[in-house]
Amino acid sequence: MELLIDHVSKQFGDKKAVDDISLKLTPGVWGLLGANGAGKTTLMRIIAGIMEPTSGRVEYNGVPIQTLGERYRDLFGYLPQEFGFCHELTVWDYLEYISALKGIPEGRSRRKIRQLLEQVSLTEVCRKRISNLSGGMKRRVGIAQALLNDPEVLILDEPTGGLDPGERVRFRNLLSEFAHNRIVLISTHVVPDVEYTASCHVVIKDGSLLAIGTTEELVRLVEGKVWDCTVPAERASEYEHKLQLADLRNERGGETSIRYLADQPSIAGSVPAVPRLEDLYLWLFPQNGEQNWRV
Amino acid sequence: MRILRLELKRILKAKSTWILLILALVFSILLAYLPVSYCYTNYTDGEGKEISLTGRASIAYEKERQSGASGIVSPERVRRAVEAYQACLSKYGVAESYDLPEGVYQQEILPIAPLLHGVREAFADPNTGMAPTLMEIDPKQLDSFYTVCEERIVSLMAMEQPDSPAARSKAAEMYRQVAKPFEVYPGMSSTVMDYQNIMGLLVLLFCVVTAAPVFSADYQSGADDILRCTRHGRGRLGAAKAAAALLISGTAFTACAAAYLLTVNSLFGWDCTRTSIQMMYSIVTLIEINIGELQCLFAAAGLLSVLASVSFTLFLSSRCKRTGTSLAMALAFCIAPVVICMTLPGETSGWICSILPASGTSIQASVLYAITDFQFLRVGSLALWTPYAMIGACAIEIPVFLFLTVRSYCKHIVN
Repeated sequence: MELLIDHVSKQFGDKKAVDDISLKLTPGVWGLLGANGAGKTTLMRIIAGIMEPTSGRVEYNGVPIQTLGERYRDLFGYLPQEFGFCHELTVWDYLEYISALKGIPEGRSRRKIRQLLEQVSLTEVCRKRISNLSGGMKRRVGIAQALLNDPEVLILDEPTGGLDPGERVRFRNLLSEFAHNRIVLISTHVVPDVEYTASCHVVIKDGSLLAIGTTEELVRLVEGKVWDCTVPAERASEYEHKLQLADLRNERGGETSIRYLADQPSIAGSVPAVPRLEDLYLWLFPQNGEQNWRV
Repeated sequence: MRILRLELKRILKAKSTWILLILALVFSILLAYLPVSYCYTNYTDGEGKEISLTGRASIAYEKERQSGASGIVSPERVRRAVEAYQACLSKYGVAESYDLPEGVYQQEILPIAPLLHGVREAFADPNTGMAPTLMEIDPKQLDSFYTVCEERIVSLMAMEQPDSPAARSKAAEMYRQVAKPFEVYPGMSSTVMDYQNIMGLLVLLFCVVTAAPVFSADYQSGADDILRCTRHGRGRLGAAKAAAALLISGTAFTACAAAYLLTVNSLFGWDCTRTSIQMMYSIVTLIEINIGELQCLFAAAGLLSVLASVSFTLFLSSRCKRTGTSLAMALAFCIAPVVICMTLPGETSGWICSILPASGTSIQASVLYAITDFQFLRVGSLALWTPYAMIGACAIEIPVFLFLTVRSYCKHIVN
């Protein structure tokens, strides 16, 4: 089972939203990391078959997805970043409607809907109109609809937006359970959502592929560039402007612990820290707009 | 069927759909009552007291007064009615019935008025089209009243369609085939048909408003992204959405038309529907139907027009990314026949209005007015009567636009 993204580009006027991206996705959870506007959503829409690439193609098991058509959509689940619902429907009616569209027989669909509602903690509100749900609940309805047909390929675009921390954890667990022997691609700019669940990460910037690898492989790229130190609290704001901070925490006794990214230690007493995926993200997408590094 | 059932459920769960459907039904019944409310009769009773009647009382009074005129309109009855009219006006020394002393019209002319319908028109000048007064007509000529009518259609068509011999001969042939003598059952006026036209247009607008967001709203909200990633989310869903919109629109129009006709005919009396179309409209109207059949034919044509307009609206909806755009364009096409009919010259406007899906129930350019008119469309050496063209165009447009809608929905690509 493999999903091949072969030299895919998408151009909107003068802007290249996706620039010659090639990837081979195999079973497992894949994290698609990138800042806002990096081209994640465009790439996901192309993979979903709802947007045509300007050039390149997407193949599933060696067959272009356009050729597969209905067969591809049959083994596919998709949660877009921004999506509308049929707001007049209840949660149950909506999932029943999507089940019918996914071609799931009525009896099986009822069992599956019940199971998914349980898993995403929506059983109690299943008779409520979608328009009356909170943002997080709507997002969970979106996740449930994507899982209805037990897809072999699951594409989730910013699935955790609007979820509270508890829901995020439950979502991660659900995903880990589900991902066995399936291809799951999750786009996000919230790094912890995929840091421990994704077996591999794809980092894109300005439509181009920047890095690809496991969490361990990627964090190795910022080894020796992450530093911890403690500074007097009154100087913290000064360092905030001077350095690329990854973390800042006030300690007792008027001191502040800071974690920063730099080629060399910039503050006396800094000690090398164990890098995390978030450090890589900040290194690749610096908040002050500077480009640190190219892969 | 499961997708269609769920799609119907989805549309019917929307409050806006129910509000529009209920409004359409209420308006239909209200419109059926309006022609009754305009009925007015004023007369002086035996004690010299002036009596004013409105609404159903007025209809009942006139029907009672004109009951003697009911039945077959034989040439002999027409002649006697004209003779009675002329005698009355001569007795009072006036040339027009308006000049009769108060109360005389109600007493002497009103009971025979239904039989006088179309007499002046039948004797119109073949060259100028000017109708004589009833006083100028020789009653003896009325023994061959229907022959005069057949001559009148020839002269009328010579004026209406001077460049189309095919249209002229077709019209004469059509009128020859109309069974005569006609029948009349007084009590109903053509206003009833005008209001049926308004009802049709109103329901058409409601249906178009319901259909305009069917595809574009999902594009706009992003719901379509999820739907089209499902197994049946393209062709079958497109077809189910279109079928659901057509079913709801068709049912809504049928219910509204039925409510209108049941109400209006119950108020005016079902016997009135047996009147020949020629005794309400032009005496040389080309089709052989009575008012009841005209109501049904017009309702059927209206249904076709609504379905064609909804099909066209669905096509627009499948092409537009925003609901506002699809709605504005659909409404523009609904009122286009009215504008075209008023602004463009005859033949061009005839063609365009016949092709536009909404023209079946449009104001001024509807099938109703086309049936009571004498317009023909020229197709080479052939002549096609406009109502046939309108009904035929709608029947063709429904499957064509449905096909284009589903195709366009399947091919819709997000950009």
